[in-house]
Amino acid sequence: MTKPTRTSRTRDEDKLDTTTSPESAQLYDPDNQDLSQGRTSSLNRWDTPWFNWKLISGTAIVGIIVLIGIFGRFLWDTELVYVGKCPLNLPPVGFENSRGQTGTWSHPFGTENSGRDMLALTIIGAPNSLLVGFVAATIGIGIGILLGFISGFIGGLTDDLIRLLAGITITVPSLLVLIIIQSLVEQIGLFTMATLLAVFAWPGPTLVIRGQVMSMRESGYVQMARLSGASPLRIMFGEIMPNLLPYLAASFIGSVSGSILAAVGLETLGLGPQRVPTLGGTLYFALEAAALLRNMWWWLGIPIFILSLIFMGLLLINLGLDEIANPRLRKATE
Amino acid sequence: MSHQTPLSPKLPLVTSLIKNMLKILKLSCLMLILSCSALALKPVDRTDTVIFDAYGRIANPYIFNWMVPGATRSHGMHQSVWEPLFILNYETDEIEPWLGLSFTSNDQLDIWTLKIRDEVKWADGEAYDADDIVFTIDLLLNDETLSLGEAANMQQWIGSVEKIDPLTVQFNLKAPNPRFQLDYFSVRVWGNVVILPQHVWQDKDPFTFDNFDLNRGWPLGTGPYRLAQATETEFIYDRREDWWGLETGFQDLPQPKRLIWVVTGVEENRSLLAANSELDVVGGITLGAFEAISAMNPNMVAWKAKMPYVWLDPCPRQISLNHTIPPWDQPDMRRAISLIIDRRQIVEIAYEGTSFPSKSIFVAYQGMKPYIDAIPHLWIPETSDVDEGKRLLEARGWRLGSGKNKFYQKEMTDGSTQTLSINLQTNAAGIELRRVADVVVEQLRTAGINASNRAIEGATWNDNKAFGKFEGVVDWDACGSVNEPWLTMNRYTNQFYRPIGARAPGNNNFVRWQGSKADRYSQLVAQIGVLPLGGSGIEPLFTEAMQLFLEEQVIIPLNQAIMLIPFNTTYWTGWPTETNNYIHPPMWWMSAHRVIHNLKKAR
Repeated sequence: MTKPTRTSRTRDEDKLDTTTSPESAQLYDPDNQDLSQGRTSSLNRWDTPWFNWKLISGTAIVGIIVLIGIFGRFLWDTELVYVGKCPLNLPPVGFENSRGQTGTWSHPFGTENSGRDMLALTIIGAPNSLLVGFVAATIGIGIGILLGFISGFIGGLTDDLIRLLAGITITVPSLLVLIIIQSLVEQIGLFTMATLLAVFAWPGPTLVIRGQVMSMRESGYVQMARLSGASPLRIMFGEIMPNLLPYLAASFIGSVSGSILAAVGLETLGLGPQRVPTLGGTLYFALEAAALLRNMWWWLGIPIFILSLIFMGLLLINLGLDEIANPRLRKATE
Repeated sequence: MSHQTPLSPKLPLVTSLIKNMLKILKLSCLMLILSCSALALKPVDRTDTVIFDAYGRIANPYIFNWMVPGATRSHGMHQSVWEPLFILNYETDEIEPWLGLSFTSNDQLDIWTLKIRDEVKWADGEAYDADDIVFTIDLLLNDETLSLGEAANMQQWIGSVEKIDPLTVQFNLKAPNPRFQLDYFSVRVWGNVVILPQHVWQDKDPFTFDNFDLNRGWPLGTGPYRLAQATETEFIYDRREDWWGLETGFQDLPQPKRLIWVVTGVEENRSLLAANSELDVVGGITLGAFEAISAMNPNMVAWKAKMPYVWLDPCPRQISLNHTIPPWDQPDMRRAISLIIDRRQIVEIAYEGTSFPSKSIFVAYQGMKPYIDAIPHLWIPETSDVDEGKRLLEARGWRLGSGKNKFYQKEMTDGSTQTLSINLQTNAAGIELRRVADVVVEQLRTAGINASNRAIEGATWNDNKAFGKFEGVVDWDACGSVNEPWLTMNRYTNQFYRPIGARAPGNNNFVRWQGSKADRYSQLVAQIGVLPLGGSGIEPLFTEAMQLFLEEQVIIPLNQAIMLIPFNTTYWTGWPTETNNYIHPPMWWMSAHRVIHNLKKAR
């Protein structure tokens, strides 16, 4: 048996090897323990499905926005985000507004017509929008996991009731109801808003998780756990749930996107938090003041750009997690 | 026969079915013909057409009964079809006759005699005479529900109305009223009582009649235009060549052959339509948008030729605090708020410098100047006096929190600690009040008051005020007086006091001011009310009443309201401006008749 040497291998063979599992690599070269172990450890490190460029780049985009929110507060005066703290209608640095005023480094992203600083709005508003999405999605997915597992695992009347409730909630026009609720609530804060959004964020995950649980409960390891006398709770959350984690993570990120979109929709209609800076709220004020017509592109452009970044980041994370959860999808993209 | 028996019950059924189908067919054909006839408008050149901004949503586009709640009339009807008796000209401060010739009172000011022009005719050729006026006023006097428009005002003042001759009507008032003509028949603000054609309305239910049938010429008016088409988004009026004014020599026909009111939506849409000359008048716009459309369309003009371009609206903006909710039931607490507010900053931010702070509760019109100038010691400072405001709060036991809690706090009698907070409600329909509230909230928070604001739907906002369901509101409810002080002052008299939960009539005194000073104030206002307009006896009573009013800080005046109304001179000239100030410029008011008659083709 000829020992394959590193130098004699082609680039194609290398590529093939990277898709080979560590076990098969060991079987391939049992005599060359040092080399194979070195290569195996190398493959172990990089051949993990979690090393997914979509997931990494998406996480990086969202992470940067979060970091800006965290550290920006120490580097910039965030009090400038409130009404009347800056000169009005200043353009970003390097630009000129319709009155001939040029941008200054005191307000590098410019200001709007109530004297709010756009950089401070970015630092405070972008993480606020993410926060609403994450809180609403956490509540929604939390309820979804609980009800989905109960419904899928227990079945019977409980399943029927949960399915009926989720089905009814899905058919309710959520934006209309949210608009009515928002108009009735005395003061809207970020968490009030997130809670309202969560009311409509649970049925989707519930039904999907239910389906997954139903397919898994008949699998061999679950049957084995049953035979071993494991309690239903142990089976649901100790056996099935760990296998659903990538899938749940993808659902969660999808839910975050949906919640942010709903929040921005409400805010753009003027139904968001009154004094808390948000990207949607900024869009509302810009639209009310005919910002585009006034050539104040930065007023609309900056929040739209950041929202696009957020949605792009979340989409990439979602796609990455999807590929991790679904090996077929991963194979197809390789 | 044996076969007919089972069939007989079915025959009438089939006959009835066929009859019903025929009816439906007839109705469909009729509707088709009607819609075709409505659509078959003769073409009119753009150069002969004036296009107006309907400025807002038209809830009921097919209701032309101005008296029922929710009906619209400023979408062209009261600017071109329904004519007023008189028009108060804000620029000359004179009441100009239109359908009316004179309106005079006896010495006691409780009998008013109206004389109308001869030969005035409705669009269908019937004479417009004293019978129509008596019929209209009686109809309003007989409304026991007080739900018809102007019914409450008419019933407050008029005991009876009688026809003296076909051109003369006498109003017998319940009490002397020197402003009777001004307040209800002279387009003091926006519009007033519209006289109904008796021959159309006499057999109709005023609560349900929609007054809309184009084939019968309804809605009927005396004006030089008739309604030609109404849709949810557009109202078209065509010129009548047989207008009474032309025949009697009152005035020439207006030059525009067609007037169109268009529902335009948000400011961005309105501005773009104006920039493209698809709109000749814009209902009201912000400074930035006006500058943008002026750059795109150099034919745009406004009331003022230069910054701030605006015309002064008669309804100044203010904050009203609920006098029944602690701690705002204390005049010192209300005054502290007033002192903390920097009105100059409100103007600079919320109005981008186009308005100015209020000195008093009144609009700063020329006609009001003698009254405002009579109380210089009571003028409200433009800038804030935060230290004095804080002193007043601290004198009431409030202490500024330390550390993270930067708001004023107070130990209550039950041992709990209360943070000084206030919530201001604004009308969600317009961005202006919200912008004002945003500035006020920041000023109050900086001074240590946990202030917040909330924009709510207009109808709810109005109801909350009327029923006392608010802590504070940003509003314009001192609106009324334009050339004499009584009307605004009367709105805060104790006759309108209602407990929380009961509707304040006409939103008068909705802050629920009461007590000995309110009683004295009300007496003084009542005394002013019976004095002749402009009488020398008014000033001392006025000064004393305003002293009481401001001592109690009944409301917190903020700033004057402005309207930037762009006119497009591409197709039409003769719009009212500061240099061509033959009348005030709001085109959604009934006074717009004067403007339409003054328009000249630009080319």
